[in-house]
Amino acid sequence: MKIPIRLLSISLGLAAAVSGSAVANQELAKLSADPSNWAMQAGDFSNHRYSELKQVNAGNVSKLQVAWMFSTGVLRGHEGSPLVIGDTMYLHTPFPNNVFALDLETQKIKWKYAPKQDPAVIPQMCCDTVNRGLAYADGKVFLQQADSNLVALDAKSGKVVWSVKNGDPKVGAVNTNAPHVFKDKIITGISGGEWGVRGYLSAYDIKTGKMVWRGYSTGPDSEMLIDPNTTTTWTDGAVKAVGADSSLKTWKGDQWKIGGGTTWGWYSYDPDLNLVYYGSGNPSTWNPSQRPGDNKWSMSIWARDVDSGKVKWVYQMTPYDEWDFDGINEMILADINVGGQAKKVLVHFDRNGFGYTLDRTNGALLVAQKFDPAVNWATHVDMKSGRPQVVSKYSTAQNGADVNSKGICPAALGSKDQQPAAYSPKTKLFYVPTNHVCMDYEPFAVEYVAGQPYVGATLSMYPPPGEKNMGNFIAWDAGTGKIVWSKGERFSVWSGALATAGDVVFYGTLEGYLKAVDNNGKELWKFHTPSGIIGNVFTYQFKGKQYVGVFSGIGGWAGIGMAAGLEKDQDGLGAVGGYKELRDFTDLGGQLTIFTLPN
Amino acid sequence: MRSALLFAVLLTGLCSLAGADDKVQTDLYTVIDGTKVDADTYQGFRTWRAAACDRCHGANQEGLVGPALVESLKTLSRDDFKKTVTEGRLEKGMPSFSASKQVMDNLDHLYAYLKGRSDGAIKRAKVELLK
Repeated sequence: MKIPIRLLSISLGLAAAVSGSAVANQELAKLSADPSNWAMQAGDFSNHRYSELKQVNAGNVSKLQVAWMFSTGVLRGHEGSPLVIGDTMYLHTPFPNNVFALDLETQKIKWKYAPKQDPAVIPQMCCDTVNRGLAYADGKVFLQQADSNLVALDAKSGKVVWSVKNGDPKVGAVNTNAPHVFKDKIITGISGGEWGVRGYLSAYDIKTGKMVWRGYSTGPDSEMLIDPNTTTTWTDGAVKAVGADSSLKTWKGDQWKIGGGTTWGWYSYDPDLNLVYYGSGNPSTWNPSQRPGDNKWSMSIWARDVDSGKVKWVYQMTPYDEWDFDGINEMILADINVGGQAKKVLVHFDRNGFGYTLDRTNGALLVAQKFDPAVNWATHVDMKSGRPQVVSKYSTAQNGADVNSKGICPAALGSKDQQPAAYSPKTKLFYVPTNHVCMDYEPFAVEYVAGQPYVGATLSMYPPPGEKNMGNFIAWDAGTGKIVWSKGERFSVWSGALATAGDVVFYGTLEGYLKAVDNNGKELWKFHTPSGIIGNVFTYQFKGKQYVGVFSGIGGWAGIGMAAGLEKDQDGLGAVGGYKELRDFTDLGGQLTIFTLPN
Repeated sequence: MRSALLFAVLLTGLCSLAGADDKVQTDLYTVIDGTKVDADTYQGFRTWRAAACDRCHGANQEGLVGPALVESLKTLSRDDFKKTVTEGRLEKGMPSFSASKQVMDNLDHLYAYLKGRSDGAIKRAKVELLK
């Protein structure tokens, strides 16, 4: 059954390549080149989250004030950000994934789309019902619903143009990621690593919703769209062909079929190389004893040809995961100097605590350094093999099932989770929202039942010993792998950052503050929004004025991690201290707040 | 060498506890020293872990996104408990476990374990099998 689909994919891919495929891409490239718009979740194809706007700048940001607000009418975690195209803002909500089109002139609702989804998907999104936002192209707004339906809405009317089912929620394959438009394709992933879902990335035609290709993270070469002879990886200090069955031979038996490697992060695109970049998540289960081997290609950075899905190169960051260090975080494309040479690089801040700089043309490893000094599970990444050197004490596999491995840093939610970093081409620095949290991890044997949780570990999370702050906002030099400055935050920084040509960098905090810092990390301004911020800061210009906006609405794993943290309370009854502290600052509530300078 | 040391530490721990021999017995569960439980209740704990209930209800049943079961079980009846686990409360994010054989086979044991936690008789989320 798999073969005909693949043949179909190839023929469709070829057809698309011939028939003016670059049209949508050119439109989107043009829209995003105008800083008045916020046409993509990250502002551009490279995941920079950088704006050329500078009306709001380091000199006047302290005067920033609320322009208008909008309630989404939904509680729970609000991740992602709205889009702005011309005079219209498109915004999304967590489950039930309502979509609004707002008139920027009047803030009147032009249309609202309210999908009907089976509530059975809510618990499958355990533990929160986040959605990371919309995509726009070709007069359509694209929504990746929780129930896996990918929907194209007419941008003018909100009417459904097409809809396609991207996964099977009955086995836990649901969606939280934003879909991404690259060329004439809308690319989307899948969630469900805690349900034994086998991850994949899919590309659909933006006009029709027909699947063009799907590449799995694990299994036979043909289903991953890997060519053993031309797909390469970093091995023994060089870029080499992966060889046959590169995934199958790293799994015991059929475990790869329920082996995770899901794909719910932020993707990027290099038009010159025609490659889409993204990461794959944890292998299933969380109990490593049940899946001996490197579990390829979970926990990996992927480069696929946008038209065919064929894998150009792949790099595994955490072979044989023992800590749930998903590799899905954003892939940022930048042109910087590494070791005195100008390089086209991909920069990635992994859950495992290492900041990676790779040559994005071929996947060669250039830099891998800790971006939080607390990281202790590995001493370093061996540059020749690319493998982290694991510290035995913190190896949950070596300690074995039913043993509680203590004091592992970072915690499962990583030194950074999905909350995306920003890159400023002006300062050449990366601004990274991070977690500063450690954990105890006790794996145990678990049986796979389709549609049931498949986790197999009990965790508790807390700040590093002797420390109070659970997060840092840092500036990172990806050419050298060094922290340039670090600003402590009481809680994990779970909001996507925004860098601007006005020499101001923005981010939100879990207490609910939107903060502005200068290029040196000095706080210039803050404002307390109604709820904790896990959304991404964005900016646009309308009628000559620059606006900065962000969703507030606490939730996501951040809320949970925080609830579990602050007080190491293995034995306690009743709510842990951290949860009470969170309640001192914020409660649920979805809202968009838009700021501008006074007239 | 490390395991030998660990063993010694464990032994010391056990010896110091053995003196207390604090036993709580109800028609639902038997608990000694707050951490050692009868075989059925132990199955309840294993079910709790396997079904990943802690992801929403907290590693210590103290509540996270889901309610604190140490509190809920003070008022939730046994029948309502079984109905909730079987059917779920989908809108609130509680799954239906009707498709999980382990959970369905161990509903009473799961209830006994959580009730023991809620009553305060089981003093730690992680329990051991009473030998």
